[in-house]
Amino acid sequence: MSEIEAIIQTNGLTRLFKEHRAVDALDLSIQPGELFGLIGPDGAGKTTTLRLLAGLLQISEGEGSVAGFDLRKEAESIKPHVGYMAQEFSLYAELTVVENLQFFSEIYNVDRTEVAERFERLLRFAGLTEFKQRRAEHLSGGMKKKLALACTLIHEPKILLLDEPTTGVDPVSRREFWEILADLNLAGTTIVVSTPYMDEADRCARVGLIYAGRLVICDTPMAIRGELPGDLLELQPEDWRAARRLITSLPGVMQVQTYGESLHVIVDSAEHRQPELKQALEDQGLGFRSLRSAPPRMEEAFISLINRLESEEGL
Amino acid sequence: MSRRNIRAVMRKEIQHIVRDRGTLFMVLITPTMILMIMAYALTVDLEHIPIAVLDQNRTKISRAFVQQITAGDDLDLYAQVGSIDEIEVMLVKGEIKAAIILAPDFSEAVLSLRGLPMQVIIDGTEPESGNFAVDHIGQRIERFIREAMSDQMQALGIPEEALLPIDLRVRAWYNPGLEPRVDMIPGLISMVLGFPALSVALALAHEREHGTLEQLMVSPIGRADLLIGKMIPYIFVGMANVVFMPILAMLWFDIPFNGNFPLFLLLSVFFLFSILSMGIIIGVFMRTQAAAMAVSFLLIFFPGFFLTGIFFPIAAMPEIMRMEAIFLPGTHYAVITRGLFLTAVGMDVLWPYAVMLVGLGILFTGVAALFFRKRLG
Repeated sequence: MSEIEAIIQTNGLTRLFKEHRAVDALDLSIQPGELFGLIGPDGAGKTTTLRLLAGLLQISEGEGSVAGFDLRKEAESIKPHVGYMAQEFSLYAELTVVENLQFFSEIYNVDRTEVAERFERLLRFAGLTEFKQRRAEHLSGGMKKKLALACTLIHEPKILLLDEPTTGVDPVSRREFWEILADLNLAGTTIVVSTPYMDEADRCARVGLIYAGRLVICDTPMAIRGELPGDLLELQPEDWRAARRLITSLPGVMQVQTYGESLHVIVDSAEHRQPELKQALEDQGLGFRSLRSAPPRMEEAFISLINRLESEEGL
Repeated sequence: MSRRNIRAVMRKEIQHIVRDRGTLFMVLITPTMILMIMAYALTVDLEHIPIAVLDQNRTKISRAFVQQITAGDDLDLYAQVGSIDEIEVMLVKGEIKAAIILAPDFSEAVLSLRGLPMQVIIDGTEPESGNFAVDHIGQRIERFIREAMSDQMQALGIPEEALLPIDLRVRAWYNPGLEPRVDMIPGLISMVLGFPALSVALALAHEREHGTLEQLMVSPIGRADLLIGKMIPYIFVGMANVVFMPILAMLWFDIPFNGNFPLFLLLSVFFLFSILSMGIIIGVFMRTQAAAMAVSFLLIFFPGFFLTGIFFPIAAMPEIMRMEAIFLPGTHYAVITRGLFLTAVGMDVLWPYAVMLVGLGILFTGVAALFFRKRLG
């Protein structure tokens, strides 16, 4: 189907922990230069998937290849081509920023003549130049993540596997981190990143949603948003509790999601239901600041998908 | 094998040891500290053991005997009692460790050369003190016969030897004073050098706990390179102890070092290699530092203490224990340290032990590398 050969390819990739299928028959095909997002609730199998791709875990069933090497037989050959950043990537706390980079450059056998230039570039890139003599234990959370990424990049890997790199990082650092990823991607690096944040999923070229170890959907963010059945109405009522009670019982309303003080109402057709809803609210004397039709975001699509899966499972 | 990778791991590990105060303390201070504590705790000479006397004879001779028994620093007369019940009360309360009961016919028997009708009771719950009391009462009896009785015996025309049938004179070579610390301290060195091994086990478990090991597993570094690079810095710090401890033993405890010092250093490197390999094995198998700590005590310190022949002769152990002792580096090193401190033997005697140390080191490192997988789960 694809003209270029996939850089990451899995067929029926499965990992069992005792009886539990942590990753269940995963078929992935990621093109060179792609920025691919893995999303899914906690415990869905995102970390296990990334560990399998990094050669850290033995495959139970199925097969896969990364950078042209077989995951089962050539796990060690994959390692020089991959940069893997674990969720709790931990640096050597007693070592300084530069010493950490130095260490990883040596165990990845980076050419000595290139080391100085790469350090400088990566430090600048991660905004750590002025902190290069600081011990890793004294860096802030965001700086630690950026140093971790710099260490992961020291051997200029073709493929980056990042496991929730921005979890627990402040919004400003998160934005900076994603800008770095975008630059890397632009320079041709294939990136697979897992994230629990839906706004981050929107930054990926393609997104795979993992649920209970299975790849439920794998498409562009736009297409996934289109998966939302019906249309989205955004309502800002004065009393959201009363409004929610009323709206849930109205005809044509498929789902109501609460976001702080506003309600996201998924209806079969915005065109028909918006005036009906407005009328119903006015009849009941419930005031509201705004009611408008809105394009669905990843978050609504994601929650709607998960709800559908859970109710299917319940049957 | 990549020398560059080994050097990188070594440098990182040295930076860790030097900058982490806990680790630095454990590898540089703890061994000497424990050696000092144990040397004092285990080799204190017993003195002033309290005893009670029940003198049923009450003559000049029996009083002279009691005085002779308690004349020195070794045995103190706690009380003269009137009945055996009093002795029991004192023993139970721990006020005395031993009691002497002199028979009513004590002086008669002595004068008629029928022997010494007396009984010694010791507290069997504390056999060390009891045996000490018995030994020293024996020595005092000899002296009593020689000194207090000599006049009477000469008057009766009896030669002294009649009461002392065998005159045994023991001469202890290599430790003329038979001081326990002279043979104990060289043995203890092998035990306290278990601390660098504990440190290396903890360092490996620490990397696993903190996720840095995961990061090493996704790198192309070889398994053996990683383990060797981790071990070598601990050999260095172990050697700092090896140089320091004999000096301490000589200056502080007046223990001779009669052997060849360079040979001692060389064999100590072999020992550190094998004991650190045990630490590496523990670090490879244990998932947490707590587990590594517990298992190190179980596999390195307890056997190092009880099975390596420092305190209990290996020859006296059941066969299965002797088998285990052979696999403990400390067993061979204890022979080496005692040999070099006390008897000044050379490689002609020590080579089998050196071979065992190197052999065990290779065996343990091999097992560790074999079971250390660059995979999780």
